[in-house]
Amino acid sequence: MRCCDVERLWDEMRDGVEPRREHVLAHLRACPECQEIYRENEGIAYCLTCLPPVDPPQRMVGKILDHIKTTVKIISPDSIAGVDSPIGKLYVAFRHSGITAVALDRGEGEEAILAKLQRRLGRGLIPSQAPQWVSDTVAAFFRTHQPDLEKVDISALTPFEQSALRAAATIPPGEVRSYRWVAEKLGQPTAVRAVGRAMARNPVPLLYPCHRVVDASGALHQYAYGVDVKARILALEGYQPARR
Amino acid sequence: MSALAAPIIGDHHRVTAPAAASHPLPSHPVPGPENFESIVDDYQRRLYGFALRMTGNREDAEEIVQDAFVRAYRALAKMDPQQRAELRLQPWLYTITLNVTRNRLRSKRPTNVALDALADPDALLNETQEGPDQPEQIVDRAADMVLVEQALLQLPMHLRAAATLRFIEGRSHPEIAEILNQPIGTVKSHVHRAVRILRRILGPQVGRIVPSDRPASQEEEE
Repeated sequence: MRCCDVERLWDEMRDGVEPRREHVLAHLRACPECQEIYRENEGIAYCLTCLPPVDPPQRMVGKILDHIKTTVKIISPDSIAGVDSPIGKLYVAFRHSGITAVALDRGEGEEAILAKLQRRLGRGLIPSQAPQWVSDTVAAFFRTHQPDLEKVDISALTPFEQSALRAAATIPPGEVRSYRWVAEKLGQPTAVRAVGRAMARNPVPLLYPCHRVVDASGALHQYAYGVDVKARILALEGYQPARR
Repeated sequence: MSALAAPIIGDHHRVTAPAAASHPLPSHPVPGPENFESIVDDYQRRLYGFALRMTGNREDAEEIVQDAFVRAYRALAKMDPQQRAELRLQPWLYTITLNVTRNRLRSKRPTNVALDALADPDALLNETQEGPDQPEQIVDRAADMVLVEQALLQLPMHLRAAATLRFIEGRSHPEIAEILNQPIGTVKSHVHRAVRILRRILGPQVGRIVPSDRPASQEEEE
């Protein structure tokens, strides 16, 4: 055991797990210089451990919780429930203000879908049963293809995304429009790509019908759950590509 | 008396972890927004103490802890149930607090660290001699404490964090490695360097351990 090793091992020995502890002790007993270094180090450590505990300010917990309430916009998690539909099982996230997200189960499993939705929404999800108004809103879409959008909450989206989705919601069932059409309706004819991004980020597909927006050639382009699902939903609505 | 006759090292002598750090914390089933109030309640004291040792300023420490809990809340709300179940809450909270502290101190001039804090020397001098039983005596302990607090604030931030977590917060090397996201060897090296620099700042006499059968007064006379 060398002097430099003893100095290096000093702090490890404090945990009492250093296997070379006995060697270090033997060296310390025989080496006055290392004893001195040990005393110096241990003295500093002792002083640090003896620093008086500090009390946080009174009512700090209350202040922290109040600060969270004012800083974090939406602090409570959404609820989420499975709802059967003609195109497969849907997972519907909701809160008192309305439906906040819809996801189609394409076989990836509940856990993966919930994780994806949580990331998308930026808040927690609590599995629960679908209340009647949620089931009714989803059923209304498949029955009339025009659900009550008062029951859908897209307030967490940017103003542009909200406007783009509202414009898409004016497209009658059974018909499609182009991304450019939506951009022009918004008064921003050059914002075609931005419309595309807004459709791609739509957290409530079906209810806000981004599936009715296609590219300028009439091709279905893309869809969160695949172009085949987009075609199927449009078919359910009575859309016939040949009519265009 | 020779040093060998009065053993300078042994189990009776080693510095123990501070009492506050050794108290087990209540375990939260799975941390989340729904039980966040109890998380704040359980951890505010130690995170505030840590932030105060790192900044030396009570107002900064309070704002840091507040900010750290907001960040923790936001992050927890975004985690899926499995991530929350696997989360090691205590090191994670220390890490967030340290990150907020770093950001805050970076925006300030480091040389202007206020020493208001760590409190009032009179209170320290009047403090009773509590703490781990030590057969040795520490020369002029209460006065040393004030100097040690001030010296700690002079360390570079990474060494101050390592020394604070190790000796004041009573964390193990692996825990510190997790909090600082550093290899254990780096942590050990930083702790050691922190102690050496503190000794250099404080000089040889502050916090000097004197063998128990040799009174402090005798030591000073030598």
